[in-house]
Amino acid sequence: MTEIRSRVLLAGLTALLAGFALVNMVVDRRALAQGGRELSWWSGLALDVAVPIQKFVAIPFEIARVSWGEYIALQGVRRENGDLRGKLAESEDENLQLREALLASGRLDRIAEMREEFDVPMLRANLVGLDASTWFRSVLIDRGRNHGVHSGMPLISELGVVGLVTATSRNAAKGMLLLDRQSAVSAVVQRSRDRGVVRGTGDGLVFEFVGRDADVAPGDLLITSGLGGVFPKGLRIGVVATVEEASAQLQREATVDPVVDFGRLEQVFVMLRRSSTMDLLYATEGGDQPDPAPGAKSGP
Amino acid sequence: MLVIVFGVPMLEGALAPFLPAAFRPDLPLLVVFALALAWRNTATGLVLAAVCGFVVDLFSGALLGQHALLSVLAFVASRVLSQRVSMIGALPQIVFAAGLTAVHAIGVVGLTTFFTPGADLALLRPGVVLPRVAVNALAAPAVNAIVATLVTWVSGEETGRRPLRIATRSYVP
Repeated sequence: MTEIRSRVLLAGLTALLAGFALVNMVVDRRALAQGGRELSWWSGLALDVAVPIQKFVAIPFEIARVSWGEYIALQGVRRENGDLRGKLAESEDENLQLREALLASGRLDRIAEMREEFDVPMLRANLVGLDASTWFRSVLIDRGRNHGVHSGMPLISELGVVGLVTATSRNAAKGMLLLDRQSAVSAVVQRSRDRGVVRGTGDGLVFEFVGRDADVAPGDLLITSGLGGVFPKGLRIGVVATVEEASAQLQREATVDPVVDFGRLEQVFVMLRRSSTMDLLYATEGGDQPDPAPGAKSGP
Repeated sequence: MLVIVFGVPMLEGALAPFLPAAFRPDLPLLVVFALALAWRNTATGLVLAAVCGFVVDLFSGALLGQHALLSVLAFVASRVLSQRVSMIGALPQIVFAAGLTAVHAIGVVGLTTFFTPGADLALLRPGVVLPRVAVNALAAPAVNAIVATLVTWVSGEETGRRPLRIATRSYVP
């Protein structure tokens, strides 16, 4: 009799825990669908408590990583320095020529507008940890609502797009990386101005574009189109590595090497501007999606 | 043990920059599996598994509750099986960890697909799942040994061995 009661109690406890988890999932999904989530008080508190501990846990790994990185860096620093000086000189020449060309074409006004668009207050945040699950690609940062960070704000680095804030607590936030399979951002080929969508594959990026005659070639730089209003236009995303041959299908794909080295990220900048078009973020596939941005759900 | 179930997801997050996801053992899942084998009290084991899952959810891009649900189910499955099959020795642990990882992968991707409009099951490719299965299977005996040692240290008794049940049936001549 005691054993039967014990089994019933265990079954009840299992059902209770599973039900609690399921309810949380439904609530979380609903919050995401509404354009982002502020974590509940208890999960926010848990995250706020966990962030300093996570920093502590990561210290030995960070020391090992930095030491190794510095050792490797020292090996070729002289040669690299020479190369970089040469590249800098080339870039300065190129920059000068481009300015002249822009002046000639009267597009400096456009650049001034772009500067205004980029004139968004930015907050520097440290990466506390990467995803604790091997199935998702997200980061934890040490800035939260108390610092003005909210769901839907873009995360960038000095190199380009990193991802999007998806959940916040008082002193921490979670961000989904561009690599995540749920991430998608509207992009444009800088050279040819062909448009498409860059999606995360978990380990890399693919650029999906339409048209057999689209002019996309290896080495092309992809930048944000800015149409959805989530990211300002002109942020670098990645460089086209390989392009799928044109076939009968209208949609083609190209693999993309991201400009951001997600394995070496230490700091990111949160753009303290939340788009007014966040309702576009979680639009379903198949519908009219003028600008799916990071967060457009497409798969795990 | 709460320290362990809180700490393991953090350790997993700290390891992430060094090891690609496909070749990184899923430590929270393996710890839940090990707890199912070593932890004596099923009720507290269930709660520990759920807490471990929730911490993973907090530290990942998953929906809150996704890993918690799967951890509870993984604990129950491991517990039930360990009561029927001997899990002493590396081989049964490797085999079961492999199966558990594959089912867990289906669970993660399936739940994401179910709760996400337009999502697909493309992630369940053999090239994605099999490396994870292999890595978890190989890591399982070591994680089990560490967790069993910690449980012994915490509870002060020998674990990993269940009391032998002797079937008693009255003899009727």
